This record gives sequence, structure tokens and C-alpha cells, in this order.
Amino acid sequence: MNQYRLFLGKEWREQARSFKLFWVPLVFIFFGALEPLTYHFLPQILESVGNLPEGSEFTLPEMTGADVYASLTGQYQTVGLLVLVLAFMGSLSGERKSGTGTLLYVRPISYAAYYLSKWTSAVLLGAASLWLGYGMAATYIVQLYDQVPDLRDVVLFLLVMAVWIVFVVTLTLTASASLPTGGAAGAALGILFIGMMIDGLVGTYWTWSPWKLQSYGLAYLTGGPDTGDLAGALIVTAVLTALLALFGILQARRNAAKAKV
Amino acid sequence: MNAVLEVSGLTKQYDGVRAVDSLTFSLAEHTATALIGPNGSGKTTTLSMLAGLLRQSSGTIRFSGAGKDPRSAIGFLPQYPNFFPWMTAIEYMELAAGLTGIGGRDVRTACEKTLGFVGLGDAGKKRIGGFSGGMKQRLGLAQAIIHRPALLLLDEPVSALDPAGRREVMEMLKEIGETSTILYSTHILNDAEEMTDQLLFLRSGKLIEQGPLRQVREKYGGSGFRVSFSDREAAEQFAGAAPWTARVDGPAVMISGDAVSMEALLRFASEHPAGITGIGRASVRLEDIFMKVVGKP
Amino acid sequence: MSITEQLAEIPWGLVWPLIAIQFVLMTAALIDLNKKRSTNGPIILWVFIIIFINTIGPILYFTVGRRHS
Repeated sequence: MNQYRLFLGKEWREQARSFKLFWVPLVFIFFGALEPLTYHFLPQILESVGNLPEGSEFTLPEMTGADVYASLTGQYQTVGLLVLVLAFMGSLSGERKSGTGTLLYVRPISYAAYYLSKWTSAVLLGAASLWLGYGMAATYIVQLYDQVPDLRDVVLFLLVMAVWIVFVVTLTLTASASLPTGGAAGAALGILFIGMMIDGLVGTYWTWSPWKLQSYGLAYLTGGPDTGDLAGALIVTAVLTALLALFGILQARRNAAKAKV
Repeated sequence: MNAVLEVSGLTKQYDGVRAVDSLTFSLAEHTATALIGPNGSGKTTTLSMLAGLLRQSSGTIRFSGAGKDPRSAIGFLPQYPNFFPWMTAIEYMELAAGLTGIGGRDVRTACEKTLGFVGLGDAGKKRIGGFSGGMKQRLGLAQAIIHRPALLLLDEPVSALDPAGRREVMEMLKEIGETSTILYSTHILNDAEEMTDQLLFLRSGKLIEQGPLRQVREKYGGSGFRVSFSDREAAEQFAGAAPWTARVDGPAVMISGDAVSMEALLRFASEHPAGITGIGRASVRLEDIFMKVVGKP
Repeated sequence: MSITEQLAEIPWGLVWPLIAIQFVLMTAALIDLNKKRSTNGPIILWVFIIIFINTIGPILYFTVGRRHS
């Protein structure tokens, strides 16, 4: 427990001093502000860019607040995931490669404390960034759009999304525990995006999967998800996350021998 | 004497190549042992296994002097220690101390004291990213001794330092050696000559010679003698008269050859006493022994 | 529509946070770059990436440009 506290302090300072604590949330906040603005002013933007045939009349479908949340979620599922994976891909592999880990591994450390301290700080930063991003979006959405979802539904949606982000971060850290940094990023992104493709193909049948969480979460904004499927997906994600973390701890211990001396 | 560390048949194999091949030795309490060998002879691999970083392919390492986790009683300094550049020296020391189980109110004082001991007293609040190689080496030593380890493993502890720094660190090591057992690798033989109770010569992963410095010296020094004189002229006269192979070396004569006995030399010297200031066994330099033991393929 | 009219039509109250974030990210990246001066690839390249590629530039710097010494 003491080691966990020490490692957590170290991770916290590292995130602050490497600016990670600032730029990861800022990126999410940026997209959170950009998305509602873009959709709201899309007609004006198109008009000022021109290039439309003379006299062409065109109307955009009326966007609701829920539509903007969905569109922003699409952004976060690509750029957001990319940012999170890139931010955490080197958490363990970097310490092996640079040799900074060596002087930790020769001490009587608990690899569970080591891994979980990184996990805690990464999960907190990832979830906080996501929420801040959606929070920023919400302030724009209530100003710019007529139809907005209830606060309660938005909160439920954010909780479901947080579970997904915890899964993403855990996958990234375990990849970093198992592989060199480049391979870790490739493996994590590969699994995430291939999972999305599989979900796109056979998602109708595969209802209990982590990749379903975003659509179940979004469903809260437009009426509510099938709670049975949501519960199933949450349980499967939680179990997978726990297994990944356990595997990550074992890999961190096993790969300590690969640290540069 | 109590053995702090007993190593038996220690072997590390990489893809069929034996980087370290059946080492057997032991370290007595509060002694200093120099691990000597050319680059690539397996010194770092050996130390990494003893530090618990690498698992040996076969053989046993028995460490007495620690409780459940031997790593809490071992201090390790790699040849090129790497630190988190964004940390300050004192923060790093506190992390190192904490992870080895040192807690409580006195941690900070202990860390400051240790930093002072290695000559980094003023640099405690500076970021390690701005440290020079020598400062990192000193910080490396500080983190290795903060928990007062029973066994200190040092990989080339002074080779990155300038002569003055080297001298200073060797003095520190001597002081630490009064309460710790030290095993250090080096290829600078002056250092080994200065601080060593035992020598381990490593070549291609094999231990090819071991023993106390004196014993190794006698073994490889042959049965030579050194007669010193007040001036070179006297030495030359003595060498010319001597019935054995004699070589003038400054104001001294080196006599080699197994045929000479101390008794015969003394008898001859009493007949030609002019200018003699001393007679003794020739002490070979470690460098010559190194060339003999390790240097040749 | 003149440029001043166009500028006046932009809802600055909503847009300035975006510009501020851009600016903060860019500044942070440049400060860090100036402090570390060790990157994967030429430093001047990263200066251009940070300044001229909106939002993504500083992120690229923080994720792949920084080198741990």
C-alpha cells in the first residue's frame, strides 16, 4: 500500500511535469467545443466557403443536442482513442527502454503496486479528460440547440463511456507492459479498431461487448438502452478489464529482465 | 568468516551462448571483491543476476543477511544509471528509500545526508535532467546505499568519472566497505589494486582466476626479487656483478628466474652491499597479471 | 459582405475558447521544446509542426516528438 502511494505520487508528478496533465484534457475539450460549433454554423460556413451552384437551395436536417453528442462520440472514438493510446503507450515500455525502470526493479517492489499506480493515474486522466470534453460540449449545446437531453441521461451516458475509457486505458497499459512502445501502440489501436469493425459487421448478434458500450450509452440520450444488454456489456467489459490488468501485472514482472542495464 | 553471498555454478545462456559460465565464488562479510575482465566478458550479466534483474539459466545464488526479499538488502549501481529527468535528486532519493521500505519522519534527513556524502549536497533540489554524467554516477551511488545494504553491487562505479572524482568515489567506497560487502566490476586496475580483498578474473563468461590479491600476485609474479639502491650507478654495478638474469629498473634491480633463492640472493648481497637500501619480493602490477591471465586468448 | 462585417458575425463568445486552447497547447509545446531541445527528428521541423498544424501539431509533438533523455 505504501509502495502504491509512492508510485502514485511519482506518476502524478510525471504527468504534471511532462504536461500530460494539461494537454490530454485540452485536446478533449477542444473537440468538445469544436463539434457543436461546427454543426451549428455549418450552413453559414458552407455559404461563406461558396462553391455552391447559383441559386441552389439546400437545407440541413435539424440537429438535436443528442445528435451532436453522437457526432462528438464518433470523434472521440477515433481521435480521442488515438490520443489516449499515444499518451499512455510508453508508460511501462518506456521505463524499460530508457533504463529508468532498472533501478526500480532491483528494489523489492510489488509489480501490482507498480502497474496499478500507472493504471490509476491513467484512468483518472483519461476519464477526466473525456468528461471535461463532454462538459465543454454540453455548455455549447445548451446555448446553441433547442432540443437538449436531460442532465440525468447525460450523466448516465458519461458513466457508461467512462467504463469504455477504463477498458481502453487498461488495454494500452497492458500492451505497454508486454511489448516495446511501438508494438504496444500498434497492438492497442489494432485491437480497438478491429473490435469496432467486427462490431460493425456482426454487432447485431454480439450484444455483450465493450465495443457496444458507446451505442448503449448514446441510447440514454434518445430514450434509453436495452438495460439487459447494457448490463451484459458492462459485466463483460469489467471482467475483461480485470483480466487485462492481471495479465499486465504479470507481464510487467516478467519483462523487468528486459530493462536496459 | 561469514559468507554474505555464495554463488555456485552460476550460468546464463542466451540462444545457446553461455554469457556467464558456471561461476562459483563466495563473498565474505565486509570484504571488497573486484570483478575484472575485458569488455563483453560477462561482468554486467553476472551483476544483473546477483541483483535479481536477470534469472540465471542454472546455478544457485545463496544470499544470507536478508529477510524475505534479498533485494531489500542489496544495493545496485549500473554502469550507466538512468533516472527520471523530470525528478529532483531529493525526490528520487525519497522514492528509492521508500520503495526499499524506509519510512517515517527521518527519510528526508537520511536522503539529504546521503546526497551530502556523495557530494551532491547542493544539487538536491535540482532536476536530474540537468545533471552531468559524473553527478548521475554519484546519485547512482547514493540510491544504492540509502538503505544501508548488506551487499553492494557496483558495475564500473568510477569509469565514468574524471581522476579527481574517481579518487573521491574510491574513498567513499572504502568508507562504505567498513559496513558493507562490496562486489564491483572494473577494468581500471589501479582501482582494483587499491581496494580489494579478493579478485575474480572473468574471460568469456568463465572465472579463470580467483583469490586474494596477495595470492594472485605471488602466483603470477613468479619468484622475482627487487633490490633497491640509493642510486642508479650502484644498481648497475650490482646487476653487472650478479650471476643471474638481472634488469636495472631505475635505482633498483629486478632479479627474475626460478633458480634464485632468497638465501642465495642475501649471501650475494652481503658480499656486494654497496648502496643497497632494501631487498624484497618483486610485486607485480595487477596490469601485468591481467595481461597474463585475461589478455591472451 | 465586407471582411469587417464577416468578422462581426463570428460569435466570438463561443469561438474564443477554441483559439485559447490552440494557443495554450502551442505555447506549452514550444516551451517544452525549448527546455528539452532533444526530439525525434530535427528540432526546426517540430517548431513548424507545432506552429502550423492546428491542434494536431502540439499533440504530435507531445506524443511522438518528445524524447526521453
